[in-house]
Amino acid sequence: MSTPFSLARRTLLATALVVPFLTAPALAADPAETFVSDNIQRGLARLNSKTLTPAAKRDQFEQFLTGLTDLKRIADFTLGQYRRSASPADVAGFESAFQNYAVSVYQFYFSKYSGQTLKVTGSTQRAPTDYIVSTQLIDPAKSGQPLEVSFRVRTDGAKPVVTDISVEGVWLSLQQRDQFVAFLGQNNGNVKLLISHLSELAKQFRS
Amino acid sequence: MRGFRALLLGLYGLALAGCASTASPEALAANDPYEPANRNIMVLNQEVDRLVFIHTLERYRALPEFMRTGVHNLLRNLALPTIFVNDLLQAKPGRAGRTVARFVINSSIGVGGLFDPATPIGMLYHGEDFGQTLSVWGAGEGPFVMLPLLGPSNPRDTAGLMVDTFGIDPTNHIHFKQHFWWAAGRQYLNVLDLRSQTFDTLQGIERSSVDYYAALRNLYRQARDNEIRDGVANPAAELPDF
Repeated sequence: MSTPFSLARRTLLATALVVPFLTAPALAADPAETFVSDNIQRGLARLNSKTLTPAAKRDQFEQFLTGLTDLKRIADFTLGQYRRSASPADVAGFESAFQNYAVSVYQFYFSKYSGQTLKVTGSTQRAPTDYIVSTQLIDPAKSGQPLEVSFRVRTDGAKPVVTDISVEGVWLSLQQRDQFVAFLGQNNGNVKLLISHLSELAKQFRS
Repeated sequence: MRGFRALLLGLYGLALAGCASTASPEALAANDPYEPANRNIMVLNQEVDRLVFIHTLERYRALPEFMRTGVHNLLRNLALPTIFVNDLLQAKPGRAGRTVARFVINSSIGVGGLFDPATPIGMLYHGEDFGQTLSVWGAGEGPFVMLPLLGPSNPRDTAGLMVDTFGIDPTNHIHFKQHFWWAAGRQYLNVLDLRSQTFDTLQGIERSSVDYYAALRNLYRQARDNEIRDGVANPAAELPDF
């Protein structure tokens, strides 16, 4: 027969065992959510700055992007199956060209969202160190539906890093991988040609 | 005019020639066995866009924003009966109810749909079509296809478009004189509105793309998946490892 004491002890034990599992995802998601809400908003604010020159803005955005994203990991992912067959020199050249391309192109896209605010709406834990943080980009000047933007955040390094961004359900790295693989497929897997093409595009966006 | 017709014929010829080409392993991996033909059709679409459409689009975009918003609202309102039927076919009564409420509010207070008083009171717009319904019922998308004039699609969504247009849309069952011109005019405005809404985005993608065709193919697929999931984020397990 259960005494009130043993019942209370069992309830306490059950609570102690179950509650961490119930609350763990929410608590564990916090670092990724905090990382996004603190840093991305700051990046948008830098792009909004009216005191910086275009060159200074670009430098600041480059620091912001390279500091918050794992561009090397993203670059390697976007090479798809050609990552395995490319020479180390080509992979290094591609990683560098991809960084330049990403800074130029993302700055162009991010600047379109100047004046908007980011609101974190939740997160999902995909793996122990892999989170998807959902946000809404709200334009105070418009009353329409906010833009749904998600960030994929890894937390297995010294600090969290973004590895992909989704805008209205479209993941940018998946999009870039399809493009690069298609380009390489059309050009006999010539990574050097892809590097030169990316460098040309980066130059066009900077000018 | 003769030159334009020759250009069209030439481009269609190129497209057909592409059908005979062999798809690359990358194209097959991307479920795009007709890639050579699809690429040729995209070139055709771009030429038609450049020669025929872009001039009207420039004039349309020069109109004051409130006028373009009115056209956009009106076209969305006309699409609501089709959306309602697809809401029901997908067994989503809550969304069907919101579609009806939106239609009633915008058709009355919103002066036949020119204004959108439903959005500020929380009756947000959502799209549905028979391609999405087929997907909810379990139909696969099939290979990617680039349709002449209509752009990226697949057999499921193409069949869905036909059912929506000729089967579900009630305005196509109301027969009156000049019905053809009404239907053609509405479709033209639909394309104009869509093109105007996406003009800057598509121009940015084209400018930043290494392969514009592959970019559009991927964009279409991911955006369609998002619509089919009603904007709910991808199940985390479906995303690839980095």
